[in-house]
Amino acid sequence: MRTLTEIWKRYKLGPLVLILLVLFLFLLPLPRWLAPERKLVSNSLLFSLTQLFMLVTLASDWNMTGGFTGYIDFGHAVFFGIGAYGAGVMMAKAGWPFVPALIVGAVAAAIFAVLIGSATLRLKGPYFSIAMLGTFVAMREIVRVLRPITGGGSGLTLPPYLNRPLFYYVTLILAVLVVAFVWWLRRTQFGATLVAIREDEVGAEMRGINTTLHKITIFWIAAFFTGIVGALWAYQNTFIDPDVVFFESRTIELVMMTMLGGLGTVAGPVIGVTVIYWLRDILWSNFLQFHLLVEGVLLIVIVLFFPEGIMGLLNDPSATSLGRLWGRYLGEGPKDAYQSTETETSV
Amino acid sequence: MSVRRIWRIMPLFILAALLMAACAAPAAPSEPAASDGGEQTSEAAVSDNGCVGTIKLGAAVSETGKYAREGKDTRQGYNTWLDWVNKEYGGVKVGGDCYNVEIVYYDDEGDPDTAANLAEKLITDDEVDFLLGPYSSGLTMAASAISEKYNKIMIEGNGASESLFERGFKNLFAVLTPAGNYTQSALKALADQGATSVVIAYEDTAFPSSVGAGAQKWAEEYGLEILGVETYPKDVADVSAIMTKFRDMEPDVFVGGGHFNDALLFVRAAQELGFSPKAMVITVGPSNPKFVEEVGDAANYIIGPTQWEATMSYQDDYFGSAADYAARYEGMWGEPPTYQAAESTATALALQLAIEAAGSLDSDAVRQALNDLDVMTFYGPINFDETGKNAGKPMGAIQIQAGAINVVAPADAAVSELEYPMPAWDER
Amino acid sequence: MDQLSQAAINGVMLGGFYAVMVLGFSIIWGVMGVINLAHGEFVMVGAYITWLLSKQLGWEPFATVIVVFPVMFAVGYALQHGLINRVIDRPYLISLLVTYGLSIIIANATKIIFTATPRTVDTAFSGFWRVGDVTVPITKTIVLIAALIIMSGLHLFLQYTRLGKSIRAAAQNREAARIVGIEIKYVYAITFAICIALTAVAGTLVAPTQPIYPFMGPPLTLKAFAITAMAGLGSIPGALMGGIVLGLVEVLIATFVPGVGTNLGIVSSFVILVVVLVTRPQGLFGGLKPAGAH
Repeated sequence: MRTLTEIWKRYKLGPLVLILLVLFLFLLPLPRWLAPERKLVSNSLLFSLTQLFMLVTLASDWNMTGGFTGYIDFGHAVFFGIGAYGAGVMMAKAGWPFVPALIVGAVAAAIFAVLIGSATLRLKGPYFSIAMLGTFVAMREIVRVLRPITGGGSGLTLPPYLNRPLFYYVTLILAVLVVAFVWWLRRTQFGATLVAIREDEVGAEMRGINTTLHKITIFWIAAFFTGIVGALWAYQNTFIDPDVVFFESRTIELVMMTMLGGLGTVAGPVIGVTVIYWLRDILWSNFLQFHLLVEGVLLIVIVLFFPEGIMGLLNDPSATSLGRLWGRYLGEGPKDAYQSTETETSV
Repeated sequence: MSVRRIWRIMPLFILAALLMAACAAPAAPSEPAASDGGEQTSEAAVSDNGCVGTIKLGAAVSETGKYAREGKDTRQGYNTWLDWVNKEYGGVKVGGDCYNVEIVYYDDEGDPDTAANLAEKLITDDEVDFLLGPYSSGLTMAASAISEKYNKIMIEGNGASESLFERGFKNLFAVLTPAGNYTQSALKALADQGATSVVIAYEDTAFPSSVGAGAQKWAEEYGLEILGVETYPKDVADVSAIMTKFRDMEPDVFVGGGHFNDALLFVRAAQELGFSPKAMVITVGPSNPKFVEEVGDAANYIIGPTQWEATMSYQDDYFGSAADYAARYEGMWGEPPTYQAAESTATALALQLAIEAAGSLDSDAVRQALNDLDVMTFYGPINFDETGKNAGKPMGAIQIQAGAINVVAPADAAVSELEYPMPAWDER
Repeated sequence: MDQLSQAAINGVMLGGFYAVMVLGFSIIWGVMGVINLAHGEFVMVGAYITWLLSKQLGWEPFATVIVVFPVMFAVGYALQHGLINRVIDRPYLISLLVTYGLSIIIANATKIIFTATPRTVDTAFSGFWRVGDVTVPITKTIVLIAALIIMSGLHLFLQYTRLGKSIRAAAQNREAARIVGIEIKYVYAITFAICIALTAVAGTLVAPTQPIYPFMGPPLTLKAFAITAMAGLGSIPGALMGGIVLGLVEVLIATFVPGVGTNLGIVSSFVILVVVLVTRPQGLFGGLKPAGAH
């Protein structure tokens, strides 16, 4: 494994492979036009990849707060929902075209992130996670109750517009954009500050960093991109109702995927999403009855035995946050801000 | 790059994101998807019953998730037809040839995204000829958008929400009575018996909302005063507040709509709060034999709409009478058919009849045949209107009488008199 | 007025169930720092055992406690040894994901074994008493009384038995507890076993009042979150107050808001959750200040 990584690093294979991969993905739909009768690339494949790109974007968004800043957001799908409903309401009720509607959805998600974040981001550890989970569930019911605007439980039907290759390209570009943004973020002072907040928030504060401002900033950026995905999803699905948009396991799947890839790494979400998405397909066809059961077992195995994720296995384990925590735990090292309730309680 | 610079630079990223999104809405309409799927490579694979080919149907039906139970009924319904058409009927007759049938199934997990993807997978990868619908209005909504796009016929028997048929789709057909008419015959029968007021509670999701709106419409139509309308969320665990309110309104008729769970909850809450209206109409549950099994004696006098009952007088040349169908189903699956199962079988049967009438597997020909279809089946009359709804079929109503499910309305299908009013809980 | 008192009774009854349901969740979190996302599934499993015994063998549902408690105690003990022990001390995200995986497994295994058909359990103690214009459901009264008994029992156990004191010691300061000779692993396993058994007993109690089905767990887990947030970690009086407050708020809103009341009642519990967390992270009813909160 070690020599492999060395070769990888020495010849700078990473960027090359990455560029080739992106190029390949961009060229993939071409056979549809050049040789449609061959069926090398079906619309179903494009749809699957479109979903994959959406998930990559969502997981990368989640990774901005969850992985880099260390704030495990269990209600991240709320921004997806606001994006979807923002766009959906403008299109179905106000008759707007898609692009302005999408902007409304994404901006609404970002604004909501600033508002809710300025309250919840003051909480630490699991309390933040739970507050966001509560926000998520509350928002679903609020959307349901606002029947005159949102259509309530009956949902909204958007004008159907289905063009797979187009959605494919849009989501691909969005995914590349977001992953590139995260990559660039890692190299900025801002990104370094976020990691500092994760590692030692009190220390960061004492050095005069306005941690709240940093947290809210990354929170709304993540929410904005999540909102875009939500709006795109709504348009592609042509139908939204509270239960399909505010879907409970959506966030936790993102967490699971990000974690499998490697928390707090640029490539982690991409790898994690891809692996799990593939695994799903295999599980579907082979364990029709049992696939969710198998998925649960898989989740436990991943979390228990590869907490540092695939990236952590590929690189030095200490390159990932959890790998480092794990190492520290083994070495009985100092406690860290990430760890939760080691505390007295009144029983 | 400090945090303030980030705030300054973000607009650039946002602009880039929006530019890219702007590509998403060119004025061009969606491409005609004729190049994908469709052409059946009819290999002359001669099977044991002498049929020359195979018709491939596809269905994504819940195996897990919220609709796991109803999904099972749906599959069993489709499979009852599949077994019959291949083994007894000797394959579908298309022109002079006969075709065996194969159904490709996937599990949509109750998730519309998955349902849509699987519909697409069925059309483009598995290259099915026709699609059978999933269970529930929400999933049908998602899946039918895909089939419409590919110009593939989807025929369904488990999505009754009115909004499904308000989208102007050409390729969606449903054999069941739409949700808005669910309570019609029950409310009419009750109004005839002298009921004057009604309260309505329904789950705030697509299908129950349609039922609830329909119930309000029909109540007004038949001169019943609406005293109260309440909604509740999915997965509700306590409806005592709704029942308390309703008890104080002293209505003649209670109408509750949602899913099987809610039916159990309503009966239990009414019982323990002493809420005894003169009639209880519960839209999903009572017609399912498992309801009586679970609720026991308290189920008596409860009225429910039914798409179909084994005791109804409908019959056809294929499955015989409704009772014959029920016997066949029970023989295959070891449990009596629910109406979800029967309508799934009827769905597949309607498709078969349309294919045979068209004498072709071509979508356009079959679509025309479906539009022209006007037949009587064990499930009831099937006659699609221009939106794809089954306009020919009235909704039945059943009442549980001494533990038995008896059809009490409409008058021509009834096997028993409506018992009204229902005695109070503590006077039984 | 009658409507108000009826609503209050309904709310308190609901709150009693909430309180007993949340205990196991709150204590596991307080003592071991593990947030058990499979909590609702254990309620569901308890309810299914009750259903099995009462429908198949004809037992009185409330009497099945004598089977549910020891069986689930053993299950809890084994789970702690095999699984949960590995996640204590690790970042909380890990315990969240492991217990989430557990919840998927339990719910889907139950679905495969028992099918997804909702089940009901009948008790001989059904019906209602009439007090003036107000009705008091008998089954729920029994649930409330049982909840109170369980809570006082647990309170006495933790306050006055040696084992109970060890559990509290382990919760307050693990290292010190270890130094004075308390075997932490054993204490944790017992704690987890007791909590799972209690949670399953809550399932037994709820079985006669509402239908049970394999996917009933997640909403209960969310409720447990909301109540624990209000109540403070591991606090028994807090759990009782939190449960009853939540029950009352839900039922009162549902009763007095026309049309969408029941929907709003559900919203309210989560709005309370967020507001309480943000304004008073230590909970409304005492409990100690959780780590890391301002």
